[in-house]
Amino acid sequence: MRVKLCVLLAVATTLGLAAPAATAQAPVILKVAIVQQIDSLNPFLAVFQSSTEINKLMYDYLTAYSADDQAVVEGLARRWEASPDKLTWTFTVPDGKKWSDGEPITAHDVAFTYNLMLTDEAARTANGSFVANFESVTAPDDRTVVIRTKAPQVTMLALDVPIVPRHVWEQVGSVKDYANDRMPVVGSGPFVLTEHVPGQFIKLRANEGYWRGAPKYDELHFVYFQNSDAAVQALAKGEIDLVNRMAPAQFDSLEGKAGVTRNQAQGRRFTELLINPGARTRTGEPIGDGHPALRDVRVRRAIAQAIDLDALVDRVNHGYAEKGAGLVPPVFAKWHWRPEPGQERPFDPDAANAALDAAGHPRGADGTRFSLRLTGRAGRAYDEQAAEHLKRSMSDIGIALDVRLVSDNQLNEATTAATYDLAFSGWATSVDPDFILGLHTCAQRPGADGKGGTTDAYFCDETYDRLYAQQLSEFDEGRRRDLVRQMQARFYDQVPAVVLAYDNALEAYRSDHFARFTTQPAHGGVIMAQNGVWGYYQAEPAEVTAARPRGWGGFAAAGAAMAAVLVAIVAYALRRRATAGERE
Amino acid sequence: MNRAGKAGAAVLAVAALVAVLAPLLVPADALDVTRVTDAPWRPPGAGHWLGTDHAGRSVALLVLQGTGTSLFVGLTAAVLSVGIGTLVGVLSGHFGGLAAGALLRVTDFFLVLPSLVLAIALSTVLPRGLGTIVLAIGLTSWPSTARMVRAQTLTIEARPFVERARALGGGHTHVIGRHVLPSVVPLVLVNATLAVASSIVAESTLAFLGLGDPTRISWGALLHQAQLHGAVPQRAWWFLLPPGVAIVVVVLAFTLVGRALEAVVTPRR
Repeated sequence: MRVKLCVLLAVATTLGLAAPAATAQAPVILKVAIVQQIDSLNPFLAVFQSSTEINKLMYDYLTAYSADDQAVVEGLARRWEASPDKLTWTFTVPDGKKWSDGEPITAHDVAFTYNLMLTDEAARTANGSFVANFESVTAPDDRTVVIRTKAPQVTMLALDVPIVPRHVWEQVGSVKDYANDRMPVVGSGPFVLTEHVPGQFIKLRANEGYWRGAPKYDELHFVYFQNSDAAVQALAKGEIDLVNRMAPAQFDSLEGKAGVTRNQAQGRRFTELLINPGARTRTGEPIGDGHPALRDVRVRRAIAQAIDLDALVDRVNHGYAEKGAGLVPPVFAKWHWRPEPGQERPFDPDAANAALDAAGHPRGADGTRFSLRLTGRAGRAYDEQAAEHLKRSMSDIGIALDVRLVSDNQLNEATTAATYDLAFSGWATSVDPDFILGLHTCAQRPGADGKGGTTDAYFCDETYDRLYAQQLSEFDEGRRRDLVRQMQARFYDQVPAVVLAYDNALEAYRSDHFARFTTQPAHGGVIMAQNGVWGYYQAEPAEVTAARPRGWGGFAAAGAAMAAVLVAIVAYALRRRATAGERE
Repeated sequence: MNRAGKAGAAVLAVAALVAVLAPLLVPADALDVTRVTDAPWRPPGAGHWLGTDHAGRSVALLVLQGTGTSLFVGLTAAVLSVGIGTLVGVLSGHFGGLAAGALLRVTDFFLVLPSLVLAIALSTVLPRGLGTIVLAIGLTSWPSTARMVRAQTLTIEARPFVERARALGGGHTHVIGRHVLPSVVPLVLVNATLAVASSIVAESTLAFLGLGDPTRISWGALLHQAQLHGAVPQRAWWFLLPPGVAIVVVVLAFTLVGRALEAVVTPRR
């Protein structure tokens, strides 16, 4: 009798534990895997893609890009107009938009942000190129922002600058040292940053007062993973809901998996191989320790010519990429450039060998001309595999490669201090080609203290800079397109970097947990790393699932059954022992 | 020598043979990612009896090629570690006093540091390469040898024949060279054999964590690549298992030989 009671108790306890989980209204959380570290949450300093992605969730720009076709739509400003001479732009910030702490968003916040960037060099670290041409920014009233530029600028509707709340940032002493981690961080975007544990997670909650309307779920978590393999495993198991930047093998492995939907998109990222062209600071001081031979454009061209881009796309990207050429990926067809048959530099090791001989770098006794370092990121599948290809390609033209795979931060250090010869890098491009083109102007090189610039290629070329200035003030789209393509041709010709491939964005999500994500562009577009945050913002949770609680119920029942069996066995053993004792 | 020890020795002989013959067994272009033509992730079967990896290379050939690196690093690191350990142990045991105190404190310092963490730190700071791995393992694993050798040295030096040698005017070099060293050598040899086993495991650990020489194939590096390029989501057990089994077998062989030698040199009481 007592035994039976125990069993009943055990069953009741287990079920009792399971019951609340099934009924309580848990917050709906979108859990996103993140592999890249965060360099800074301060929007003026953040350069890493991971950081800018999170900043975009926290702060709106003045204008936004639509999800369907990346056309310019309302951001913080609803209306805008330019003066006939295109030198004065007036933006109207409508009434009713609020910061997440309830303060109204006004034109003064916008003016404050831009003026901070104009006056403080540190605030120009990440997005300096957008304001380089600004004369003044004023806010004559609460609703109106007036921006005057020195020369006409075409990117006035593509200012990817997070606008920060004046009432918070006025109290910030030094922008350079401000971590922006006073939680919850006051912002204007669809999500509010509430918690950040470096290397573990970043938590954001839905901004109920967001002017476009609150998101359809409660919390957005970015969960750190040591490598994308672990992230993919977690997705397969249902621990997280969204993964991007998968390796081809990982993407293939999710094929046909129940509850998982894959998304192969034309990405806006490219992978490049930097060739240190003799890095100098903005003031012309040499910086870093790049190999002197690389200052010769003939050597750089020979290196580029010896790399078999088709083989890299085929064997390293496993076909999930397109062969590289200009700086703008083909997803932005308007600005994308491919070399004409005459300008092309086909894969040709023999020609590269001849060019190196002619450039005065004969092979030594061991067949080597000179040796270079190749810096890449340890743990990134592309770098590790492509490094092996490059090592072989370079040894074919008599260049010995010393492959150095280092951590994210060490790689960043090497590229910002120019202590590399060859290095893997890559950028995400925006709708307007200005950012990626501006990155390679002389002005983007670091200042005398080695800080303040964004470039990692250290390109400085008069022709390129002239074309850049021209396209910046060319309002005729046809002519501007022509200039943009000329710039890319110049970059290709001078090779401070070889664009290796335009990566497909390989993403996957739990379609049993989140039914729909908005892609950008609407067809063949990406969910993460958009020009905007539509993917996160418009994600729709699946119908309240019975599947997960039922899963737990199953476990509970199994647990109860096991407990019952255990209790029965123990009771039986005790009885046996008791009777044995009596028998003695 | 017991049966297990003989089996271990046989396995080691085979492994050494493979390591030496690997350049002959493995065709020059078979492991070059730019030259292979086979499809990636092929399961074991005809042609590739251990399947292919992410780049289409034969896993069997990769494991053969990795033998040399793993054994080389294991042996050199063990020699380095046991060398340092013996030197420190004999010197501190023989001289005593202030010198011994200083040496022992250094030994203690290395003994309490978690050696894996120290090895990771060292191989992160120093330039990548085989030498760094050897150094990182060697510099972190010598303290236990030092302690053991010191203890042995102390017992030897307390014996009457050493006292007699001293009384007859034998100097430090004579005592250490003629009496102490010959008596600690067997112990050191046993220790070295066991140290090789742990060094191979340490090398595999570091390479698996991506801290090894990225351009050289070792068993740990193979596991690293398998993990990095998605062998787990691909369910490509044939890329994960062979290098792992190879590590286990060779480490086991070294341990068996080490234990057998230990039984030989340790006098039964």
